[in-house]
Amino acid sequence: MKKGILAMHEILKEILVTDLRITDTDILPDASIEDAGLDSLALVELAMAINNRLGIEIADYELMDIKTIAQIVTLMEERTAQV
Amino acid sequence: MTVRKGDPTAGSAAVVCGIGSWLPSTVVTNAQLTERLGLSDQWIRARTGISTRLIADRDTLTSDIAVAAGMKALRSSGDSHVQAVVLATATSDRPVPATAPLIATQLGLPGIAAFDISAACSGFMYGLAVASGLVASQVAERVLLIGADRMSTLVDPQDRATAPIFGDGAGAVVLRRGHAGEPGAIGRMVLGSDGQHRDLLTVRTGEGSPDPDDDPPSCRRGYLEMRGMQVFRHAIERMSEAATVALDAAGWSMKDVDRLVAHQANARVTSALAARLDFPLDQCASNIEHTGNTSAASIPILLAEAAEKGSLIAGHRVLLTAFGAGLTWGATTLVWPDLKLAQHDDDDQTPE
Repeated sequence: MKKGILAMHEILKEILVTDLRITDTDILPDASIEDAGLDSLALVELAMAINNRLGIEIADYELMDIKTIAQIVTLMEERTAQV
Repeated sequence: MTVRKGDPTAGSAAVVCGIGSWLPSTVVTNAQLTERLGLSDQWIRARTGISTRLIADRDTLTSDIAVAAGMKALRSSGDSHVQAVVLATATSDRPVPATAPLIATQLGLPGIAAFDISAACSGFMYGLAVASGLVASQVAERVLLIGADRMSTLVDPQDRATAPIFGDGAGAVVLRRGHAGEPGAIGRMVLGSDGQHRDLLTVRTGEGSPDPDDDPPSCRRGYLEMRGMQVFRHAIERMSEAATVALDAAGWSMKDVDRLVAHQANARVTSALAARLDFPLDQCASNIEHTGNTSAASIPILLAEAAEKGSLIAGHRVLLTAFGAGLTWGATTLVWPDLKLAQHDDDDQTPE
């Protein structure tokens, strides 16, 4: 795993635990959204929290295609690089 | 949104002096929906926080339930007279005329000002501003404001997106002319709308087809369509923004607030809103678990229930906020007044 991706995964975990009150801190990159305890509304909350903390915009139509934690991390990585 | 500066406790204001509500007796459980929609009790609870919703009989009209709630509010206020009736609803008895004149007549108040307002789930908040205006413009010394909706008439019973969420109900308050500094005085009203997103929550009748780029609606044509994820995001953003402006206008911070009374859209909206406002969830009034989302009626029903249970008491600083189709939203503040509540046992007006 690339260093940037690894760091972003840690940031995402922090947001999940702090902002979305997810208790399982051992969330692996290849975990599915459901396994990470996220449903469609929680994904929206997550996108809002990511925007709030990092200024990264994730649109609702993008959220609908997200199936794994790794996909969110990749999206965060790409958007951060663009900022 | 901008805030007019000035002393929020100076001048005249509309003051809440009575409250009442009415809920149907027919309970629809998650187990009943499991059969129809193929959704488990656990799934519905996790996504909505709702265990039951209450549905009025087919023959019961919005005017019937509005009269029942209105009568209780008048009784609670200790005076059966008002000079205006305002009904906030998305389910008027008829497209024409408005339902409020019939309500006024049925309450024994013919001849007074009466009209409906349409702002969906934000209707009660818009109604508070309208009622305040009627008092300020000397149309009325006292106004009966009713939020009443029979959402079961708009919801496709087969639609997984909306059928678990919505229920029927009515709630009402009486407002009288008073002073901005006294308990019950409605604070600065913050209202907003965004018609660009009207398709997120809509009933299409003759006009307009869904955008071909959008996912097809999950309901049949002519019923309430809801795009849940987008609505969820807008609800949290708009209510938190409006609430922050209303708080600022009152000269309060979130730490000064005793109760957050938000439109009961979905328990997940309330919890996300509380988190965003950094407000403790256990100080958020909530009844959605057993009522479902009753649209324009949800805030007065919730206020009446919380006051009756004693979780809302005189002197509590209350932050009110709502969000609905339109999109529309609103927020305001008030200090809860010492109200006499209409008792259930003298409820002689049961529309069903």
